[in-house]
Amino acid sequence: MLTITDLSLTEAKVRHLSGLTASFQPGTLTTILGRTGAGKTSLMRAIAGLLTPDSGRIALAGSDWTRLPPWKRPVAMVTQQFINYPHLNVRDNVAFPLVRAGVAKPEAAAKADAALTRVGLATMMDRRPSELSGGQQQRVAIARALVKKAPVLLLDEPFVNLDYKLREAFREDLVELLATETGTTVLYASTEPREALQMGDQIILMAEGRIVQSGQPRSVFAAPASLTAAQVINDPPINPIPFRQANVADFGALGQHPFRLPPGAYTLGLRAADIHPGGPHQAEVTLTEVTGSETITHLRLSGQHLVMQEKSVVPRTPGDQLGVSLDLGAGLVFGADGARKEI
Amino acid sequence: MYRQKYLFLLPGLLVLVAIILFPLLFTIRVSFSSWDVYNPGLNWVGGENYGRLWEDARYWEALLRLTGLTVGTVLLQYTLGFALALLVWREVVARRLFRVLFLIPMMTTPVVMSVLWRTIFHESLGPLNPILEGIGIGAVPWLSQSTWSFIAVMIVEIWQWTPFMFLLLLAGLLSLPNEPFLAAKIDGAGPIRTFLSVTFPMLGAISVGAILIRLIEASKIMETVYVLTSGGPGTSTETSSYYIYIRGMRDFQIGYSAALSLTYLIIMIVTLTIVAKLLVRALVRDQA
Repeated sequence: MLTITDLSLTEAKVRHLSGLTASFQPGTLTTILGRTGAGKTSLMRAIAGLLTPDSGRIALAGSDWTRLPPWKRPVAMVTQQFINYPHLNVRDNVAFPLVRAGVAKPEAAAKADAALTRVGLATMMDRRPSELSGGQQQRVAIARALVKKAPVLLLDEPFVNLDYKLREAFREDLVELLATETGTTVLYASTEPREALQMGDQIILMAEGRIVQSGQPRSVFAAPASLTAAQVINDPPINPIPFRQANVADFGALGQHPFRLPPGAYTLGLRAADIHPGGPHQAEVTLTEVTGSETITHLRLSGQHLVMQEKSVVPRTPGDQLGVSLDLGAGLVFGADGARKEI
Repeated sequence: MYRQKYLFLLPGLLVLVAIILFPLLFTIRVSFSSWDVYNPGLNWVGGENYGRLWEDARYWEALLRLTGLTVGTVLLQYTLGFALALLVWREVVARRLFRVLFLIPMMTTPVVMSVLWRTIFHESLGPLNPILEGIGIGAVPWLSQSTWSFIAVMIVEIWQWTPFMFLLLLAGLLSLPNEPFLAAKIDGAGPIRTFLSVTFPMLGAISVGAILIRLIEASKIMETVYVLTSGGPGTSTETSSYYIYIRGMRDFQIGYSAALSLTYLIIMIVTLTIVAKLLVRALVRDQA
């Protein structure tokens, strides 16, 4: 089991990780979800040994890695950039970690060929990385990571620099490839909640260098522990709507709702899918994004910025007036300290 | 009208003829003459000068000495230049200062550098022998004994031209992408293995260029020998260029020195072409 304990890391006087503690079971895929700058890459690099933590401990099966140089750690890693050896052909690129590990060259070449066949590059083994497309270069990097058979596999947003369609296809391929890697602890960093919810056995939400929540993807999505966690795991981001609780929850111009809460100030986290077109509230359209078969509409309603998600393509123009309804009862309630309250 | 375009080539062709073709053709013609201090002029003697050259042991010894000197100094310049470049490549204290300091020998003219080193090597007045004596090695006959004179010439050449290697290799190192080095760390390669498997091969093309430039320059070595040892003691540090200079400028055997020069030129062109091909095959993958 890979464990990190109270891990903190500062680089160039900027705090990247603050007191991270987590454990990762062998044979599981953990998705680390967070926005850019949340500390995902720093965590991956600290585990790989490319960054040295200020304090804390990294251990695999009880063996302390914290001060171990990266080349002595049984880790494989695929990064956002398509990292390969430009002076070696594709086969030698993939065989590189095996040769370094002392595997005889013919055996390493045979294993590299097999790995390249698995990632669909059987016909390109003698080419240089510069002669491949971005997607193919990343497949080479994935093959190199898989061929090493390391007990820890770190995938740091491996598809972020690929186009949308290619990313979808690669994600499916990767899930198939990883299914055969039994016993490997896989960490997959992502900024996309949808990807994280699809892929992981476990999910870790990160924000500002801290773990804000971890657990089963579905349960974390259904019950985020805090407003920050809710904002990280929802795409489009959750709509934070402040309200005051007296006898009922008072949302001002947005109406009231019969929550049973102690009196005080709260924030309702309303998912974009819980705002619907057609309703009593007149909102102004400020921006429309059509993503595939969905429409994300940004609205201004009573001075509040809201995001609405519809499962259809609806042409709208900024400045349009639109009647909307808010399903306040479906929202999540967070206290003044940001923690979620049961309602 | 259309033919007038060739007129535009004329200035370039004239310069080419003036600075390359004419001297070359004239030298070829002179090499077949007996032009010397007693018989100036282009008196045709056929291949007499070339026959004499073939039996001139001093010329071939100088060529052999030059080969040793060139290969030895360039290899050491490359090794030291690479080591210095690696030293100031990454984050080290005052690396900018070191980068400038390492270049100073190259900025000094070879004659000035050789005069300076002649003073340093001076066996009774120079500062080097007292230092060597002080650390228990003892005085060395730097400029009066054959082997030590040869080593002295090598030291000056290495001192002067290592910065050139340093400059080219540092530029090469600084232009390398960082990503393969990250990958090598992850793939289990320590610092030495990373150097052998990533840094060195990625600098293959630059290494070939730097070595070839220095081989060409080193094969023309003249000033250092002239100032430091005058080819001595005896002929122990005499190189081809210096021997040709003696025959042509000191003995005024113009016809013979032209034959020596042309033979030397052909040998250099053939040798360096072969060396270039071998270096490319050895250091630049898949381009041989």
